[in-house]
Amino acid sequence: MNPLKYSANRLQNQDLKLFWHLIQLGFQQQFSYRAANLAGLMTNFFFGLLRASVMIALYAARTDVAGMSLQDAVTFTAFSQAIIAYLSLFNWWRVMLAVYSGEIASELLKPTNYFTFWLAQDIGRAIAHFLTRGLTIMAAYALFFKITVPQTVGQWLALAVTLVLSLLVSFGWRFLINLTAFWTPDARGIGRIAFGLSWFLSGFMMPLRFFPDWFVRLCHLTPFPAMVNTLLEVYLGLLEGRALLGALAQQVLWVIALFALCQLVMRAGVRKLVIQGG
Amino acid sequence: MQPAIISVNHLHKHFKIYKHHRGALGALCNLFTREATTVRAVDGVSFTIQPGELVGYIGPNGAGKSTTLKMLTGLLTPTGGEIEVNGRVPWKQRRAHVAHIGAVFGQRTTLWWDLPVIESLDLLQYIYKIPPAQFQHNLDEFRTMLELDPFLNTPVRSLSLGQRMRADLCAALLHDPPLLFLDEPTIGLDVVAKERIRQFILHINRARGVTVILTTHDLADVEKLCERVMIIDYGRVLFDGRLESLRDRFGGQRELVVDMAEEYATVDVDGATVAAREATRVTYQFERNALSASDLIGRVSARYRIRDLMVREPNIEDTVRRIYEERLLDEE
Ligand SMILES: Nc1ncnc2c1ncn2[C@@H]1O[C@H](COP(=O)(O)OP(=O)(O)OP(=O)(O)O)[C@@H](O)[C@H]1O
Ligand SMILES: [Mg+2]
Repeated sequence: MNPLKYSANRLQNQDLKLFWHLIQLGFQQQFSYRAANLAGLMTNFFFGLLRASVMIALYAARTDVAGMSLQDAVTFTAFSQAIIAYLSLFNWWRVMLAVYSGEIASELLKPTNYFTFWLAQDIGRAIAHFLTRGLTIMAAYALFFKITVPQTVGQWLALAVTLVLSLLVSFGWRFLINLTAFWTPDARGIGRIAFGLSWFLSGFMMPLRFFPDWFVRLCHLTPFPAMVNTLLEVYLGLLEGRALLGALAQQVLWVIALFALCQLVMRAGVRKLVIQGG
Repeated sequence: MQPAIISVNHLHKHFKIYKHHRGALGALCNLFTREATTVRAVDGVSFTIQPGELVGYIGPNGAGKSTTLKMLTGLLTPTGGEIEVNGRVPWKQRRAHVAHIGAVFGQRTTLWWDLPVIESLDLLQYIYKIPPAQFQHNLDEFRTMLELDPFLNTPVRSLSLGQRMRADLCAALLHDPPLLFLDEPTIGLDVVAKERIRQFILHINRARGVTVILTTHDLADVEKLCERVMIIDYGRVLFDGRLESLRDRFGGQRELVVDMAEEYATVDVDGATVAAREATRVTYQFERNALSASDLIGRVSARYRIRDLMVREPNIEDTVRRIYEERLLDEE
């Protein structure tokens, strides 16, 4: 059940070894929630069908909107549904729950960087979701619709890179939102608003290129497009040459900025943490 | 004298509790008003602990024991005062600090809820970066001593409390920490399980030289394990010393139970009162500071023929209960 298990013991560097084992842990834990995963899969899929039919109605007689064909637009709905679980876009409360339950005590008693500790586990979780939810949904869609697929090696390569970067941006953002639990007893409320924002501004709901220019430029001041929109455009092959490199560079910058911010805020949070119970 | 492994100086931890208004309007109020009361959970605690000591840290509910331990383990930042453990300041150097201590907070587990015990322990090997040989050696020793084998492959969530506590103890010691913090390690365990845990704690203290601090509400733990005991209440240290000296000072009356050779009409002796009398069995009570047991026995045997006798020390439970309830140590 755990294809990641082998190579771990070959790693020499102790920190990498730990990182790898934590990835495994996150991967493995996903398989404890079989029923939830199945339900999630069904929801993602059927909601996607709904979105696809809305998109078809929207196109009506048109063949091209902002450089996207109808097939691209339908693929957009498929792909965005397929990456919900992988990016864990609207639902990740692990750190918040640990703070509120006091479980964070057990985690802080371990000599690891708390951010890296969760990053590794989230990567494992994402790999599991990519396989069980992402690929499945794309395959299921392909049965119903004609779907765009990257054509060149270069496109696939760019897709691989942006997939990883999108996950890192998304993780940085989710971790940061979870950290508010160190200060307020209502981090979930803040999280709902934050995740609502990301739903709209990331290009998840509609491709950002459908919106007016000024709005898109506003979005690009936030990390949200770097989570979803870039990934989608790379998949659809809408970015080329310098535009592609620029988009990837922007993602890298957001990863650096968010990760640094996470570390800073986390340090401040741990200092003032009040551990409940005992 | 060796340098202390723990030194604590005027340690304080105050919690602010904000008044909470109820209801929807109240929630709005909560945003704007910040009426706070302060709880002085730890209020000026100082002590030092030498390597190899096994110290009991006791006190009634809410005394500040867990709060102290959380600061010593680097989980809480003190409001004031200093802590140095192993030459480090726990809350400033958390990662380095926790790499060199073991800790079990009895009410929760450090293991992964949905993993089998052995997989949790394996992960700890990587988290603490324990060399494989050392890990294997420790694991072998602990799994025999703590009898972990029957449930090594059981997920932690399915373990009984006693089993979980044993697994957690093992987990806390795999990386050979010189120092172990235990917050209520025997809470909720049956007599046999408690005894097994006590044996284990004693073993790692004696054989491995691990310094141990434990809190407990079961004074039998303290009696069987700790040469030194600290009593705290209201966030202050009320007593710090040997258990016997506590008994000497606050133990109150000792008892001498005598089986007389025959039933006497009167059984009075000087310096003791007759607390109970039942056929030929007489129970005397006497002040430990006024009269020694051998003097009293001398006096009784001078007047009556004795068949058998027994001196009863006051129960430590009673002593400590009196200290908590009557606040005997407060004036000092
Ligand atoms: N997070 C917190 N916020 C507010 N007050 C707290 C908090 N944690 C502890 N306290 C208060 O501090 C005091 C000491 O609590 P602590 O948990 O240290 O007691 P304890 O000695 O461990 O008690 P017990 O034997 O019941 O476990 C109590 O009055 C408690 O209500
Ligand atoms: Mg406690």
